[in-house]
Amino acid sequence: MRGFGDLETVVMHRVWDHAGPVTVRELFDELRQERPIAYTTVMTTMDNLHKKGWLAREKEGKAYRYEATASRGEYSARLMREALADGGDTEAVLSHFVAQMDGEESKVLRSVLQRLSGRRPE
Amino acid sequence: MTPALLVFCYALAVAWFLPPLLTRLTRYGIGPRLGLTAWVTAMGSVLASAALALQFLIRAAVAGWPRLSEVVCRSVAGGACTPVVYRSALFEAALGAAAVTAALTAAALAWSYGRRTQRARRRTRAHAAAARITGRQLPGTGAVVLDAPRPAAYCVPGRPAAIVVTSAALAVLDAAQLGAVLAHERAHLAGRHHALITLTRGFAAAFPSVPLFTRGPAQVARLAEMRADDAAARRSGRRTLVAALLAIGTGTAVPAVSLPATALAATGGAVTARVQRLLEPPHRGRLTGYAAALAAVMLLLVVAAGLITAYAAR
Repeated sequence: MRGFGDLETVVMHRVWDHAGPVTVRELFDELRQERPIAYTTVMTTMDNLHKKGWLAREKEGKAYRYEATASRGEYSARLMREALADGGDTEAVLSHFVAQMDGEESKVLRSVLQRLSGRRPE
Repeated sequence: MTPALLVFCYALAVAWFLPPLLTRLTRYGIGPRLGLTAWVTAMGSVLASAALALQFLIRAAVAGWPRLSEVVCRSVAGGACTPVVYRSALFEAALGAAAVTAALTAAALAWSYGRRTQRARRRTRAHAAAARITGRQLPGTGAVVLDAPRPAAYCVPGRPAAIVVTSAALAVLDAAQLGAVLAHERAHLAGRHHALITLTRGFAAAFPSVPLFTRGPAQVARLAEMRADDAAARRSGRRTLVAALLAIGTGTAVPAVSLPATALAATGGAVTARVQRLLEPPHRGRLTGYAAALAAVMLLLVVAAGLITAYAAR
């Protein structure tokens, strides 16, 4: 749980939970309530997230105010699009538990389901 | 027959005539791991023999340009090759052009293959990293949950890998079914199925008209699913796994079910085939027969490759 990747996750979720832009100091004050953490660690993590495009920042006085470049929902939607778009020609190699089905197959499976659960088709 | 021609004919035969046989033998997903091995072995043997044939040509070229045209001419046409033919400037020019084209094509194929797989790996890793940041941790599982309206579950290799379950999938699965889904995805990661699929897709892109390579990716993907299904069924039971498949596939919660007595419609697609296979596993006798046939095919491939190499190396 102490891995650097995990910290990025923690920081991003914090930023998303904030209504507006947030400074390193504000986030650091929140995080140290829960875990022993250094100010510079938070600062480096946020700087990394900025470099990777997750956070946008704007200078305000001496400090930066950070903001997510997209909402959690937008990121989720983007990931799902990428994951589901894999029709064989895209490069993302993702393995789905259930591949995308056409309407016919979905109908067949639904009928199986109804038979299994002993319900009448609606 | 000359070595180069022999090796080349072997590669052609395997690439064109083996796919239908392999498709038949692996149709019911009996021994999916053996099936996967058979497909990959066949591809490897075709590539290796093609490389061997190329090596003969190169060796002939290195042996000396003055005699090259004669060597190539004889290796293709044998006794029908007369000095009049192989000493003509036209033949030499054609030969040179063919050699350059072959070398350039091989280099271009290797380059496009490398670029393709590199890009796939980069994108896949980026996806895993993004999913781990965006998703909520699912306690005790190592999986992450993405908020999405559509039921889905998948895994992405990376450092570390990610198993993603959507919130909609979580809503229709009970604890046991979720366990089956996670076992299925973990089996993909443990079996490095993504690497197999990337590899075979790369081959398919590099050799777009060779049946073994064009048919390969779909067959490998199908067998990888069945292999992961077997792992999940061993852990969670076939019934639970089928319920999970149906739940995610239809977006409806499936209570603990009893196995149906009747067969499924034969018209279904890949998912139906998986469900059917789980509900009505093939007979033991049939299983042994198919496994033996597959093993025989692979043995034949290896022995043929060995004999050809030995003959060619004489």
